[in-house]
Amino acid sequence: MIRSVRSLVLALAALLILAGCGTTAPADQGVRVALQFPPRAGYAFDADDGGLLTKLGVAEPLVGLDPQGSAVPGLATSWAREGDGRTWRFVLREGVVFHDGARLDSGAVVTALTSVLSRPTPPRSIADLGMRVEADGPGAVRVSTDAPDPVLPLRLSSGTTSVLSPAAYAAASSSGGQPSPQDTGTGPLRMTEIRGTQGATLLRHDGYWGPRAASSQVTVDYVTEPQTRELALRSGDVGFAEGLPETSRASLQADPDVTFSEYPSARTVLLQLNGSAAPFDDVRVRRAVTAALDRTALADQVLGGSAAPAADLFGPAVPYGMTTPPPDGDVPAAQALLAEAGYGPANPLRVRLWTFPNRPELPVLASAIAAQLEPAGIAVDITVGDYAAQEPELLAGRYDMFINSRSYLSDFPDPAGVLDSDYTCDGSYNIDRFCDPAFDATVAGLGALSDPAQRAEVFRAAAATLTANAVNVPLVHPQNTAAQRGVTGFTPDPLDLRPVLPTLAPTD
Amino acid sequence: MLGVALRRLAWIPPVLLVTSVAVFALPRLLGGEVTRSVIRARSASSTPDPAVEERLNRELGLDRPVVTQYLDWLGGALRGDLGTSFTTRSPVGPAVLEAAGVSAVLAALALALALAVGVPLGALAAGRPEGAADRATRWGGAVALAVPEFVLGPVLVLVVAVGLGWLPALGWGSPAQAVLPVLTLAAFPAALAARLVRAETAEVLGHASVRTARAKGLSPRRTLLVHVVPRALTSVTAGAGPFLGGTLGGAVVVEVVFAVPGLGRLLAEAVEDRDLPVIQAGLVVVVAVALLAALATELAQLAADPRLRS
Repeated sequence: MIRSVRSLVLALAALLILAGCGTTAPADQGVRVALQFPPRAGYAFDADDGGLLTKLGVAEPLVGLDPQGSAVPGLATSWAREGDGRTWRFVLREGVVFHDGARLDSGAVVTALTSVLSRPTPPRSIADLGMRVEADGPGAVRVSTDAPDPVLPLRLSSGTTSVLSPAAYAAASSSGGQPSPQDTGTGPLRMTEIRGTQGATLLRHDGYWGPRAASSQVTVDYVTEPQTRELALRSGDVGFAEGLPETSRASLQADPDVTFSEYPSARTVLLQLNGSAAPFDDVRVRRAVTAALDRTALADQVLGGSAAPAADLFGPAVPYGMTTPPPDGDVPAAQALLAEAGYGPANPLRVRLWTFPNRPELPVLASAIAAQLEPAGIAVDITVGDYAAQEPELLAGRYDMFINSRSYLSDFPDPAGVLDSDYTCDGSYNIDRFCDPAFDATVAGLGALSDPAQRAEVFRAAAATLTANAVNVPLVHPQNTAAQRGVTGFTPDPLDLRPVLPTLAPTD
Repeated sequence: MLGVALRRLAWIPPVLLVTSVAVFALPRLLGGEVTRSVIRARSASSTPDPAVEERLNRELGLDRPVVTQYLDWLGGALRGDLGTSFTTRSPVGPAVLEAAGVSAVLAALALALALAVGVPLGALAAGRPEGAADRATRWGGAVALAVPEFVLGPVLVLVVAVGLGWLPALGWGSPAQAVLPVLTLAAFPAALAARLVRAETAEVLGHASVRTARAKGLSPRRTLLVHVVPRALTSVTAGAGPFLGGTLGGAVVVEVVFAVPGLGRLLAEAVEDRDLPVIQAGLVVVVAVALLAALATELAQLAADPRLRS
């Protein structure tokens, strides 16, 4: 018996060693990366997967973005507004070759955009505009909307409006499926293998019109668990990983073999307050909550520096975001405001705070907020539950407080859509139940503004109005993280809208 | 035994039919609005336009009466068509079967390893109480039973993949990638099997039949292998079925920690996205597998212990 057990142990050890022999990657395998978000809809363009394809460097839209989020030439080299302002003409880049060898022309662009526009749920960037696309000769297209749209070029920077080879749409049409990005994009990397939500293999597209990809091959693994991404990076399985665990921040920063990057994200964690019912229909109570919270402590101590304290809706990721820190917590001021509103020891205030666990920092923040509000005289009961089940109650105004994590840019770098949906009287996601006709008029005025500087001024003013009315409490702006090990070339993109993988290369 | 198998097999279709009602109803009891969840899954959008919701509701067939939806789904399932995923818009059947295949391989390897390690260790420990093997089995088993998979998995990765660099930390597809997930999944059942076999073996060793066998001149090893271990295996066999059934339905923790594309991970994502066709198909597979595993366990027990046949 002893001998058989010994044999078994030896066999297991041999298996481990043999299995390990197969793991050393050949030098010519390029870069392997662990990305946080897998495709959710089979790389469909009417979903956010179009944005993922842009990030991978596989597919491209007509318009590109510079690091500040301004429109720059992409598959179109120039564009201009025509006539009554409802039509834009885009001149296409010459010499663009799809991964399958077809050439880009106006027919391909019309096919691609018409295909995505005809879906039951077109992408947010171009939905409900009455958008039409027509060829203007082989080298240009005209894009029209029902009403003048000052940011149409920015809308067409969204990855969801990327253009695939006509063959992809023909195949989708005959199969009843959706166009596949496999060997049909125009980007610097060609998707040669799709492994579902597990990963993909990308090879350099030598016929690319712009700077060639830095690596001959990029192997993508979609890894949803942060700790697994970190361990894969540490073990050398991957050379680049994003969205690393907050708890590993310090050790990764200290690791001489790792280049760690931390950069702002266009996202805000908000404490939303139900302004349609007591007690938060009283602005004094909302201001009391704002005053009682120490947002710097939430960011630095509770979240260990993995987020920046938020002073307004927009943060340091965009030029119109506030970069100064919020005021410190002021409990006496909060108590005075509550007393003014009729709350105090004789009439204590007790509220329920909801949040959801999909973003692990939210329940942690909920506990910290309850602790910070208690000295001011606000007792908080916490409910952590499933967001999908909470949403109908939130939208119907049947809640007190809710911690939400919200990206203020959707598919393209302009927050007008979020201001409209979240803060106008008829907004479809107005959880705070804020309604101010003057604010609505300000947001509506964006429809006539095309100058980026003027739009930025409106965004600043809108955020200031929300802060002044204590519509909600912007708590923190989460920081994005990424790390490289044996790989160079990563450029942080706070907007999370630009290609990431084409510049990555092995250090040797 | 054939009669037992046929009788049990005959029960599976009606049980599955009843299950299908529960499987169809359960995801609809999760709360939240399915269409909004699907839109959120596809586009991370929290602000779908009501017109868009209505269009998608129609496209997904959710605007029809629930009974009609159920009968359509059941009819499709009987024809082998498990529907189309709400999020990926690809056929559910192949995706679920592929994921179930991965989970099956993972579960089978883990069970085989657990039995290969746990049974001999348990027998060895019982053969020499308080010996080195017995103490090692007891203490090692206690650790393996106490440490959850979400701790053991990362620890193994830290030691074997990060520290020693012997094995990859994640993924699925090569033998090397299977080792750590299988070890993680096998630790608990191996420890449990060792304990069960040790306890059962110790008891059987005291039986008169064993003393008789030894008195007839049978060697200790042969006595152990022929007369003791098979009888001690009864409880292990009883536990193996539920383990296999549960793990075939998806070892969610191990699949997430090691990025293994199994059924557990697929189902967890589908529940989050309210992808009803995937949830329904996945649950049907899980229930069917559990029923078959229970049947296999029963047959194995009948084969091992003739007394049960009466």
